[in-house]
Amino acid sequence: MSDPAPNTEPDKAASSGIPVGGETSPLVIMELIQRLKIRDVMTRNLVTLTREDTMRRAQELMRIGHFNGVPIAENGRLYGIVSIDDIIRALIGGYIDDTCAKHMSTHLIVLEDDMPISFALRYFENYKYGRFPVLSRDRALVGIVSQRDINRVLLYELTAEINRLERQITRPPEDGIGDDLYMLREYPVVRHDFENAGKAANEIKRLLRERNVDTRVTRRIAVAAYELEINICIHSHGGTLAMIVSKGVAEIVAKDTGPGIEDVEWACQDGTSTANDWIRSLGFGAGMGLANSKRVSDHFEIKSALDKGTTIRCKFDLRGPAPQQEPSP
Amino acid sequence: MTQDALAAACSGQILVPALADAEIAAGYASDMLSDVMANAPDAAALITIQNHVNTIAVCTLANIRVVVVCHGRPIPEDMRKAAAAEGVGIISTDLSQFEASCAIGKALEGGACA
Amino acid sequence: MTINDVAKVLNGKVLFKEEGRDRHVGAVVASDLMSDVLLVDADDMLLLTSLASDQALRTAQIVGAMGVVVHNDKPLPATMQDVARRLGISLVTAPYAKYESCVRIHAAIERDKRGETL
Repeated sequence: MSDPAPNTEPDKAASSGIPVGGETSPLVIMELIQRLKIRDVMTRNLVTLTREDTMRRAQELMRIGHFNGVPIAENGRLYGIVSIDDIIRALIGGYIDDTCAKHMSTHLIVLEDDMPISFALRYFENYKYGRFPVLSRDRALVGIVSQRDINRVLLYELTAEINRLERQITRPPEDGIGDDLYMLREYPVVRHDFENAGKAANEIKRLLRERNVDTRVTRRIAVAAYELEINICIHSHGGTLAMIVSKGVAEIVAKDTGPGIEDVEWACQDGTSTANDWIRSLGFGAGMGLANSKRVSDHFEIKSALDKGTTIRCKFDLRGPAPQQEPSP
Repeated sequence: MTQDALAAACSGQILVPALADAEIAAGYASDMLSDVMANAPDAAALITIQNHVNTIAVCTLANIRVVVVCHGRPIPEDMRKAAAAEGVGIISTDLSQFEASCAIGKALEGGACA
Repeated sequence: MTINDVAKVLNGKVLFKEEGRDRHVGAVVASDLMSDVLLVDADDMLLLTSLASDQALRTAQIVGAMGVVVHNDKPLPATMQDVARRLGISLVTAPYAKYESCVRIHAAIERDKRGETL
C-alpha cells in the first residue's frame, strides 16, 4: 500500500467543456483562479476513519453525513479512501465487517493545498471524481475539496469583483473626445503568466485607437504599458496595470506587490536586467523595460521599497508635442 | 568569404579576429540560442544582437566561425575573452539584422535572390 | 509590397490577414527579442521572427506592425491564430530561415523599386 503522491497537472488537451482558463476567459477570472489556492476553498473539518475501522462504520458515516467517500487517515497521514462503490461491493460480497485497510482504494488522485484552484478545475474535468483529498507540502492530509467548495468561493469572489467593476462604471461615463475624454481601466498581471503577458497593453492600445487619440501618443503609451506589464510579469510577485485618462492627460500606473527594486537608478538604465536565461529564451528580459518606458513618457515616476513592492507612473500629454528627450543610440 | 570580406560586406569592424583560415559560407540570423543550435548551417556567420558570453558557447557548439553583432551593441569583456579563447570572431556593425543579412547575402551571392 | 506579396516571395502561407485595405511594408525588422522590436520607431513594420509565440503578435500590435512572419515552418501554438485574429495582425508562416527571408524580401523590394513584378 504505497503512499499516495500528488500528480502533475493533467494534459491540457484532455480537458473540455469548462469555459474557464482559456484564451477567451476574462483576465479577472484568470487572476482569480490563479490567486485562490486550494487551501482557501477546501473543507478542513474532515471526517476520517482509521485502517482498522470497519467498512460498516464507513457506510454509517456516509449515510449520516450524506457524503460519498471517507478518507482513511492516521496521525494526519492519508492511507486511502473508501467510496460508496466500495461499500456496495462489500455488501454484495458479504464482507461489510472487514477492516477498511483490506478494501480501501490506495491509488489516489490528490491535490496540494498551495496549488491554485485552476488545477482543481482541470482535475474535476479530467477525473470525474466528486472530491479530492488535499495534502500539505509535507504530505499531511489537511482537507478535502469538492466542486461545491469551489463554486461557493468563486461565487463570493466574483460578486466582490463585479461590485468593484460596477463602481468603476458609475464613475463619470467613459465618454467624450479630446480634452473631455475620460477613461479608467485596471488589469491584473499574474507573475510568470507568459501566455497572457501583454494582453492588458494590447487592450489599452485598442481603447486609445477607438477613441481616436493621436497615433504617435498612442504608440508611446502602448509601449510604456507593455514594457511595464512585462516587467510585473517577469520580475515581481504580481500586480496591476492601470490606465487613467482625464483632462487631456493619460497616466499608466504599474503596481506590484514585491520584491521591490534595490537600486532604482541602476534598473532604469538601458541594458540592465535581473532576468534569468529561461526568461530571455522566451524573448524578454533584455533589460530595456524601465529605460524604455521612461524614454517614451512625458513624465516618469518610480517608487520602490524592498519587500513592499514598486509603483511606476508614466504620464502622457494627449495634446502636446512629443517629449524632448532623444532616444539613446 | 574571409572574415575581412564579411566585415566589409556589412560595414562592420573586426573586434575579435576569428581563426586565420576561417571561411564563411552562409549566414544565419537569430537571437534565440536554442534556435541557433538546432538550425544554423555549417560554417555560418551568426547575425544577432545577443551581446553576451552565452552566444560564444553556442557558436562553438554550432560550428559558427564569426558572430556579427548588430545595431552597434557593445561587446562585454567576458564575451570578448570567451571569443578569443574559442577562436570565434566578433564583428560589430551598426546595421540592423535585416540590413546585415541582406548585405551578407548579396556578398555571398549564394543567398537566394531571385 | 502587401502581406500577400510577402507570403508569395517567401513561399509561405497567410494564416490571417488584417481586415480593411492592404497595408504596404514600411520597414523590415528581423528580431527575436521583443524588447528590441519595441525600440524601433517605424510605421507599418514587417516583423520577421523565429519567436513562434503570441508575444510576437502582441508586440506587433503595440508597434502597429503590418504583419508578422514566423520562420522555419515552426509549428505554432494553438492560440496563435486566434490571437492574430483578435488583435487584427496579419500572420504568415515561412519555410525558410530568417536570414533567407531577409535576402528574399530585400531582393523583392529592389525589384519593386525597379518597377518589376515581385
